[in-house]
Amino acid sequence: MEAILTRHLDQDNPQNLAAYQATGGYRSLNTAFDLKPEKIIETVEAANLRGRGGAGFSCGMKWRLRGADAPSPRYLVCNLDESEPGTFKDRYLLYGAPHAIIESVIVSAFALQAERAFIFVRGEYAKGGHRLIQAIREAETAGLLGRNLGGSGFDLHIDVHLSGGRYICGEETAQINAIEGKRPNPRPKIPRPSTHGLWGQPTTTNNVETLVNVPHILMNGAEWFRRLGINGGCGTKLFCISGKVKHPGVFELPCGTPARELIYKHAGGLDNDERTLLGFLPGGASTPFLLPQHLDVPMDFDPVAEAGSRLGTGSLIILDDTTCPIETVLNLTRFFARESCGFCTPCRDGLPYLVQILNAIATGNGSADDLALLDELCSTIATQSFCAFAPGAVMPLVSSLKDFHEHYEQHIITQRCPFDASRKEAV
Amino acid sequence: MTDIDTLQKDLANLPPDHPDRREAAVPAMLSLQSETGYLDDAAIEKIAEVTGLSSTEIEELATFYSLIYRCPTGRHIVQICDSVCCSMRGADQLLTAAENYLGAPLGGLASECAPTVLPSICLGLCDKAPAALVDGEAAGPLNRTLLETLLKRLQTEE
Repeated sequence: MEAILTRHLDQDNPQNLAAYQATGGYRSLNTAFDLKPEKIIETVEAANLRGRGGAGFSCGMKWRLRGADAPSPRYLVCNLDESEPGTFKDRYLLYGAPHAIIESVIVSAFALQAERAFIFVRGEYAKGGHRLIQAIREAETAGLLGRNLGGSGFDLHIDVHLSGGRYICGEETAQINAIEGKRPNPRPKIPRPSTHGLWGQPTTTNNVETLVNVPHILMNGAEWFRRLGINGGCGTKLFCISGKVKHPGVFELPCGTPARELIYKHAGGLDNDERTLLGFLPGGASTPFLLPQHLDVPMDFDPVAEAGSRLGTGSLIILDDTTCPIETVLNLTRFFARESCGFCTPCRDGLPYLVQILNAIATGNGSADDLALLDELCSTIATQSFCAFAPGAVMPLVSSLKDFHEHYEQHIITQRCPFDASRKEAV
Repeated sequence: MTDIDTLQKDLANLPPDHPDRREAAVPAMLSLQSETGYLDDAAIEKIAEVTGLSSTEIEELATFYSLIYRCPTGRHIVQICDSVCCSMRGADQLLTAAENYLGAPLGGLASECAPTVLPSICLGLCDKAPAALVDGEAAGPLNRTLLETLLKRLQTEE
């Protein structure tokens, strides 16, 4: 398989401008400038490049729907606020290939005719953010950014916004508020950011991994990109594999690679060969569990959805049979309760209530009525909250009530956690 | 001239309602904090003065963001991830070990030279679980011994 996303990656010693250019970097700029913006968008849409930040929406369609006649100034936001537990692919790109990010932002901004772009970097990645700023300065000095960049007649300024933290800043409209310097609560769904985003102007937000595909699509064509995938997937994907595996890491593999191959071949299998797989989260913390019978599901958006979950960020978190699923769900729910922006009541008050009930069950103090109460609460929280945060937050919990029902019952009936002994082995 | 002074100069001639002023609030907080370690009430007032926003608006932002500190911090900051992958590999025990070793609750300072240890959301270091950021640099996989060695080093080094 041809590596495209990891081609220039070097975590310890990322390429400077000269080294990046010497290995083919920034060549897509001329390809892009020779094409009309509409043609670029058409190519990206034909490549079926789907958003790698979690939602999986068609990148080309998002760009087309913004409209070529959108009023100026137009903005592009590159979302590098990766905070989804189990997800660490964007860190690899930021620390390992800053110029690949800049090149991607330039050609994407040209396609959208955006004159200002923001790269929103999570605060925990500040050191990587400083590397990126240094690379931007190099590109500016070389005339690859700024007015009439590369002699194209196109002007682009890139700002790096270093975040002050909090998971919610990864949400598109919360991120827009964060950049503007407002409290980063999500905004109402309407009007959409494509027409009323940053300072009320047309704004397009894409995940950094999504954008890093764009130069390669322009250089090699839509059909080439589609053929990189397998089992119906298009392109390659940075899969993160973590949890109870021998070799956790980031692996660039064809979209559609089955979970079994990811876990047992690339991540080396479970870290103890005598254990068995209990289940896994396929797309980060806010996705429903999949079980051992789903190991042959191609890790691509539609097949994972058909199996009852979401590909999300393509980050597999692996549980073996010594991992308490209730404890895991408690940890996930506690995370979301803490990270709620607090704007709407179902999310702000509902998630801590879920934590309270889960904690009681996990510590052997649960009651028989708790499972029905959890189910009802999740349903209320998911449907009554303001943004997509809470529906995502309850997804693993809702699926665990079905997938790990026996484990819940065991905790409640025996009034203890059956995994206590194995947990004490840790550290 | 410090970063905050440069920012103040840049913003000085902008009209009071110019969007650049509000946009500068978080960069100003991070910049000032990098010099002082945390933002006290005087720092909040200073940022309000630089940006032209009210001190209440700055306070609202400061208390929202997890990486803006309103209490004194140690010379070094250790953020230990307590999210799912690190928790599976013993993060909770690491946090307890840090409290016991330093003799202070998380976020507290037992002595002037002690590092500040904080629990953190997923640090994007799941391949190094259980992991931490030490003054922004990745560390992991950690165990109790490695953590205590690290804390000892941070306590003693200048």
